[in-house]
Amino acid sequence: MMSWIDVSCILAVFLALTILATHRIVGMIKIIALQSFLLSFVPLFLHAEAISGRDIMLSGGTMVLKAVLVPAILFWTIRHISMRSEIKPIIGLGTSILCGAVLIAVAFWISLSLRLPGKFESSLVLPCSLATMLLGFMIMVTRTRAITQVLGYLVIENGIFLFASSLYDAMPMLIEMGILLDIFVAVFIMAIVLNHINEEFERTRSPVHRPKWGESQ
Amino acid sequence: MLSLLIAIPFLGALAVLLPVRTMFRVWFLFAISFVHAVGTASFWWRLPASEWQGYLTLDPLGLILLSVISLLFLSVSFFMIGYFQHEHRSNRIFTASILALLSTMTLVSVSYHMGLMWVAIETTTLFSAPLISFHRNWGTLEATWKYLLVCSVGIALALMGTFFLAISAHDVHTLLLPSILSGASSLSVNWLKLSVIFLFVGYGCKMGLAPMHSWKPEAYGQATGMVGVLMAGGLTQCSFLALMRVSQICYKTGLSDFYASILIVTGILSLVVPAILLLGEKKLKRSFAFSSVEHMGLLVLGLGLGGVGILGALFHMINNALAKVVMFLTAGSVAQKYGSSHATEVRGVIHIYPVTGILLIVSLLAGTGMFPFATFHSELLIINAAIISKHYVLAGGIILCLAIIFIGIARIVLEFVYGKPTEPVLDKKENFFINITIASAAVALIGFGLWMPAPLSRVLHDAVALIVG
Repeated sequence: MMSWIDVSCILAVFLALTILATHRIVGMIKIIALQSFLLSFVPLFLHAEAISGRDIMLSGGTMVLKAVLVPAILFWTIRHISMRSEIKPIIGLGTSILCGAVLIAVAFWISLSLRLPGKFESSLVLPCSLATMLLGFMIMVTRTRAITQVLGYLVIENGIFLFASSLYDAMPMLIEMGILLDIFVAVFIMAIVLNHINEEFERTRSPVHRPKWGESQ
Repeated sequence: MLSLLIAIPFLGALAVLLPVRTMFRVWFLFAISFVHAVGTASFWWRLPASEWQGYLTLDPLGLILLSVISLLFLSVSFFMIGYFQHEHRSNRIFTASILALLSTMTLVSVSYHMGLMWVAIETTTLFSAPLISFHRNWGTLEATWKYLLVCSVGIALALMGTFFLAISAHDVHTLLLPSILSGASSLSVNWLKLSVIFLFVGYGCKMGLAPMHSWKPEAYGQATGMVGVLMAGGLTQCSFLALMRVSQICYKTGLSDFYASILIVTGILSLVVPAILLLGEKKLKRSFAFSSVEHMGLLVLGLGLGGVGILGALFHMINNALAKVVMFLTAGSVAQKYGSSHATEVRGVIHIYPVTGILLIVSLLAGTGMFPFATFHSELLIINAAIISKHYVLAGGIILCLAIIFIGIARIVLEFVYGKPTEPVLDKKENFFINITIASAAVALIGFGLWMPAPLSRVLHDAVALIVG
């Protein structure tokens, strides 16, 4: 099952790059859902010869929380806060992709000098997870909308998850579930805060009372 | 016993979600904080046994943090009794979040597994976010957003660091602290270095150390005073416990010099940045937020300098928490009376509210580490450590920064207290609950400054021995 892991790793990076090239928020959320869905299979691929109950639990938990519930919350948020669906990145889409490609190269270059001890299933896990993380940071800093920052955060988390699922015995399942649940609750609370921000925006109709974002002290 | 101490506040958090009267929730919160404090006090007599196969263990380091947390929640819940007599906003989510925060902060101080510790610290971020936006307006919402985003992303780096630690401890097969420490010789040093950097940046972000402090002035400036206390005295020091755990591992693996250089550089930066920024500050709570950055810098410096510095840092944890009770609760009480904490609107407090005026002066002295407050002693210990380890320039730099910070805060506070009152205030009542909380914290701070009880000294020395190994 080696090849399946490699395929998932490459697809994860590819999807992160696609998010950089997307300018519709709905599209971005769908791609993140797809990426999470794909990554939820990684624990199964890693132990394909003897799948334990733990792998199934972890895989199922990831799928339900990150591929179903988180996108559902995000869709609910953008429906509620009636925002424009298009976003304008600080730097153009073409430049973003070019920068993304450079970041991927950097990730591969860094992981050349890091040797994983012990037996690891795939040599692509480390560079791909680093690349996904870096692309997530890139999404966070080049998109100006509040919700796209949440999306960038999710891509970073997906990168970390890809790396984490290759470490089998260090984390007990309960703690991995705790990590997943934390991320889910984080997105949930961010969605609520976004909603409150929007309500406040609607309430203060008069622009005089409305300080610009970043200017209120 | 330990799991009970975590479970009781959590169940309490669920209970206050039920529709009951506002004041009932506040008294209920006080009762639970009191039970928590009694439980914690009993640990000073005898440390409880480990639970959950060693995942929950209380050692002297954890005991110091747990006691600090317990004290903070006890004082804040007592303060809230006075506060909510004048505040008629629903406190359902607010009290539930505070109780959940108490539960998770207890979990941080007793978790003995680096993964569990990450989960607990991230959960504290999540439960503290709703507290900042208690008064819902633009400022608080922006602060909440900034806090959530910066800390979540920061702490994601700590998660990556935890996984790097897991790779480094590949032969140990677990992230339980005793196993890592006993198998320290088998850790892979390169991965450990990488892990230390990531863990430091992640938890340092949550602590609000200098380059990562951007959320702090916003969050503390906008949140009510009691939330400021819980965050500046409790949350940030929870992350400091994580940094001390990393320190334990570094001492065992001979990486202590590597780690110390990171700690010292960040520490001095956390003194320089607030010293510069404070000079242009106009708001009381924001200036106290910069003071919190400074105190975190001192903690990290003490840990980095080693020896007597670690003792100073541990003692400073307690003093910092008490000083934060005095500072932020006074600021909160001023803000509630005037509806603002801006220097142009609040003037001449001592003419209208004499007690609050005196407390403002006390909070200035306690927060900037003046004699006889205990903060003076712990800061002296940390400067002493710099001199002992022959970092003379560093010691001079620390003293200079502390002096500038004193001037910066004094400028604001003195204008608040002695300035000419702008308009007559009708309601001149002082609140008993509010003032008694602040005064007792100040008295405790002076008490520790003049006399250190033997059990405290023993626990502090045990904790230092744990870190140095």
